[in-house]
Amino acid sequence: MIVEWVALLLFVSVILVLLAGFPVAFTLGGTALIFAGVGVLTGDFNAALLSGLPNRVFGIMNNGTLVAVPLFVFMGVTLERARIAEDLLETLSGLFGSLRGGLGISVTLVGMLLAASTGIVGATVVTMGLLSLPTMLRRGYSPEVSAGIICASGTLGQIIPPSIILVMLGDVMTSAYQQAQLEMGIFSPKTVSVGDLFAGALIPGLLLVLLYVLYIVAVAIFKPQSMPPHRKDSNDNVSYVQVFRALVPPLALVFAVLGSILAGVATPTEAAGVGAMGALLLAIGRRQLSLARLQEVMRSTLRISSMVFLILIGASIFSLVFRGFGGDDGVRAILESLPGGVVGAVIVVMLVMFLLGFVLDFIEITFVVVPIVGPVLLAMGLDPVWLGIMIAINLQTSFLTPPFGFALFYLRGVAPPEVTTPQIYRGVIPFVAIQLFALLLLAIFPGLITWLPGQIYGS
Amino acid sequence: MTPQNLFDRISNTTGKATSWLTLAMVILTSIIVVMRYVFDAGLIWMQESVTWMHAAVFMIGAAYTLLHEEHVRVDIFYRKMSERGRAIVDLIGVVLFLLPLCGFLALMAYDFAAAAWSIHETSREPGGLPYPMIPLLKSIVIVMPVAVALQGISMLIRSIKIIRRK
Repeated sequence: MIVEWVALLLFVSVILVLLAGFPVAFTLGGTALIFAGVGVLTGDFNAALLSGLPNRVFGIMNNGTLVAVPLFVFMGVTLERARIAEDLLETLSGLFGSLRGGLGISVTLVGMLLAASTGIVGATVVTMGLLSLPTMLRRGYSPEVSAGIICASGTLGQIIPPSIILVMLGDVMTSAYQQAQLEMGIFSPKTVSVGDLFAGALIPGLLLVLLYVLYIVAVAIFKPQSMPPHRKDSNDNVSYVQVFRALVPPLALVFAVLGSILAGVATPTEAAGVGAMGALLLAIGRRQLSLARLQEVMRSTLRISSMVFLILIGASIFSLVFRGFGGDDGVRAILESLPGGVVGAVIVVMLVMFLLGFVLDFIEITFVVVPIVGPVLLAMGLDPVWLGIMIAINLQTSFLTPPFGFALFYLRGVAPPEVTTPQIYRGVIPFVAIQLFALLLLAIFPGLITWLPGQIYGS
Repeated sequence: MTPQNLFDRISNTTGKATSWLTLAMVILTSIIVVMRYVFDAGLIWMQESVTWMHAAVFMIGAAYTLLHEEHVRVDIFYRKMSERGRAIVDLIGVVLFLLPLCGFLALMAYDFAAAAWSIHETSREPGGLPYPMIPLLKSIVIVMPVAVALQGISMLIRSIKIIRRK
């Protein structure tokens, strides 16, 4: 039992050391290695476990599911560099800008469609903030409302397919689910795929969009002074041709990618590859692709991809050592001893993740925490798709929650000084309430998540 | 040329060169899809090469990513620190975490790759990639930590310069 406490000490130490700010990938692996070294000296850690390390790294290199990650990143970065998001926002706001709340709704829709390119919460909120905050303020939107809409829609893209977070979560859930079933003595385990997670995220994602839009409409009706309609000016006279050009190609691309995965026609990797190719063709069609820009896209893809996978390598060293100290048994013992059975365990895990979301991003939590708690919770009989989506929305909520939420920090960084921090906090609170309401709804009616994957994949 | 410049230049050149593989992955995946759905032909070696290009991208690109400061940090406190404070964090991080981790991984990976070379390992899939590819890829498990360690040393030198400057 003492050894298991070492594992928990390792977990806490890693979190504390991470706060110093050295890159996550090396901190995770390095701290774990130090613990393992001390453990080997005191005889509490089996040194032979570490010899499996190169094979683990090779396993990550050979993971076919995760090949979709760099391809989706490539697609997202291409769309971003080709100014397709900007075009989309301009056109939509020209189209709806004269309506009350029209600009707010446009920002929400753009966030939903295009914000998911990198999987880094900070990056998407910064992009959305730079793109839309100046326009919103200029058109007389109150800082509160603007900040709330940007933070919420900037983080929303993370959980709406096709997002790389869902690809990673899908991969982690697959192995957690297999492990859970093996422990339950099921030797012909059922599987869960990235496609399942995409399908599962669709209804909850659209539900959130709907709730955001309803809220924006309500504010537009009851507090019109914080969201004035925009008087028509020359910028707003968008022609149908313009609307068609800005709207149809990117929408068609996103729907084709998502549709082919959901229809089971293409694997996520295939869809991502073709999507990236489509994005390139789109950029060429708009004369937005020079050699220099292509190189920017490739280099940016390489850096994001390397960042993600080095965290995965660091996290896998961490979990190797954590298991070596019996940490997974410790976590199981704790979760199983909680009052309220599986409900109690889920609530505690969600709370812990919510708090970890104040310091760690989606990627780290997916690779470090989910593999530890996932198998235990799934062995208690939870549906893997439901658990995955609940985790995703829970984390998104955490990123929005004052005073520590990631999204708020990053928006603060790009917001002009006349937008005060308390205004940003006040602006997101309604959205946090919406998130919590959605989580509650999904907990009471799990079918909202599990129905669509069941229909599509018959699992 | 100082060692710092040399290491930075190595990372930069290899990173830029390797980034072309991302484009190759996009093109190759599209070809695979066309082959599969139009000509009903599955090409295992092509699929495998996309996977391995992906592996080469993130492994060989790791040092380049470090050079360009894109390995994410938990920066709640880090971003508020002075330049000197950051340099101290980087110095301690490189010495305590990055170098030992890379050294250990490279050491362990040496036997791992050597074994693959000695048995002339090939792909387990029929129609998969032919010999030297698998041992070559296993050797990347040595290349990554060595390259990252060199870039880490460059980071170390930079941090020491900043700390000494006062």
